[in-house]
Amino acid sequence: MEHGDVNVVYSVEHQLPLIMYIGQYFFFTGLSAGSFVISVIATLLGRKEFKPIGKITAILAPALLIIAPLNLILDLEQPLRFWHLFLYYNWTSPITYGSFLLTAYPIMGIIYAVMVFTNRQKAAKVFGILGIPLAISVHGYTGFILALAKARSLWNTAAMPTIFIVSAMISGIGLVVIISAIRYRWFDKKADAEQKEQDKKVILQLAQIMAYVIMMDLFLVLSDILVLLTAHSDAYEAGWLLLSGNFAFLFVGVEIILGSFLPILLVLGPKSRKSLTAAVIASILVNIGVYAMRFVMVIGGQTPPLS
Amino acid sequence: MAEENKRYAMVIDIRRCIACHACTVACKAEMATPLEVNATWMKIVEKGAFPDVRRFWLPRLCNNCTDAICARNCPTKATYKRDDGIVMVDQHRCIGCKYCIASCPYDVRYINPLKNIVQKCYFCSHRVDAGLLPACVETCPTRAMVFGDTNDSKSEISQILASNATVVLKKEMQTDPQVFYISADEAAMSSIEERINYYTEPAFIKLRI
Repeated sequence: MEHGDVNVVYSVEHQLPLIMYIGQYFFFTGLSAGSFVISVIATLLGRKEFKPIGKITAILAPALLIIAPLNLILDLEQPLRFWHLFLYYNWTSPITYGSFLLTAYPIMGIIYAVMVFTNRQKAAKVFGILGIPLAISVHGYTGFILALAKARSLWNTAAMPTIFIVSAMISGIGLVVIISAIRYRWFDKKADAEQKEQDKKVILQLAQIMAYVIMMDLFLVLSDILVLLTAHSDAYEAGWLLLSGNFAFLFVGVEIILGSFLPILLVLGPKSRKSLTAAVIASILVNIGVYAMRFVMVIGGQTPPLS
Repeated sequence: MAEENKRYAMVIDIRRCIACHACTVACKAEMATPLEVNATWMKIVEKGAFPDVRRFWLPRLCNNCTDAICARNCPTKATYKRDDGIVMVDQHRCIGCKYCIASCPYDVRYINPLKNIVQKCYFCSHRVDAGLLPACVETCPTRAMVFGDTNDSKSEISQILASNATVVLKKEMQTDPQVFYISADEAAMSSIEERINYYTEPAFIKLRI
């Protein structure tokens, strides 16, 4: 170490402020934003074979976004004062953007879902397009929450919001693949063989898109780690915390190998690319990986002592 | 109340400090902080190997930064800055989202486990408003801590700041801290050396669930 033989005799370290409620909140908003974007894309393309997926995701997006803020309220030390967020807002705080985005986005999502289910194509398209910036900012702002907490060098990077949006897409697509596969296997008995074949093809296509988005995520994570390792001393320590410290198993093992490389191999591999089971396993792994990523970011980011 | 033309700051002269922890005790009594949390404490490090060993120490408290990240990030403005520079927390407005704790580069904020709100050192604003000194300054037996108004060029603190080499904690955070140290040791000011050990400790033990 640069200080030679230094031993801390006494110091005060206060407890970690943000616990896994926050990570779970990030996970759920990610799932919601991801499925909303897929739903809108399905609606905009307007092809008949995408219809079931468009409907499933239209329900998933607002439903998940009702669960997500509950985590936030449970995390408060004074949960009954949550309404202070709306009454005493502070425009320089990313949490304030969040409290308004988290109100506007589910309302838009519900309107959109109603339009999709009542088959009003034109209105669904309009509300879908209006909803996409909201969906992206509802997840992008969570990246800003971490990035603007300047004290923590693992969070304080410009890549953070983008990493969050891309990982949201991954986990969202993963969830859609899992749910559409369940529908395909157990709940779609009336459809004929041709319809079935087409459903399977759409699910496999989604899984392939997921694999390409994972590659994008891997690139972002690689550039983030590379810059951390060459930046100032705190960032350097944060980079090694992920690569060889306490969080190496979760980061390298679960997030990168189990949650990224293995799903890419399963989905794009020559033997398993036609298999629905492989796509579902890949989607489950991807979601485990993204959950691990939330843990590593939220808890790992706060581990380096500051006092 | 806070007067507009004042700007409070503190200088801690570590050449005078004997690490007696009197400031910690005085703060604990004045602020009535519960167990396990501290608004003021003494960080102590040991440097070197036998026979060339020495202890270095650093009294720690809130820097009441001019550009406070906590005040910028507080979603309810429960954390705000007084005109005289003291960073306050409104106990009735704080919702306990803990974002300020996550944003603070100095780890001086804590959740009061009895009141379930965020607290920190306020330079004893209630004492300052009554014309008294902060409890730690009042108590310090070697007068290592000096508190005063830096806008007044005749005050003791302005003269000390003008005639001594001072440092602040984590200048790179762009916070403009208002607690200045004279003769502080780099190892005591840095948090990096603590990290020798933390790779081997389980990360989960510090989690409060």
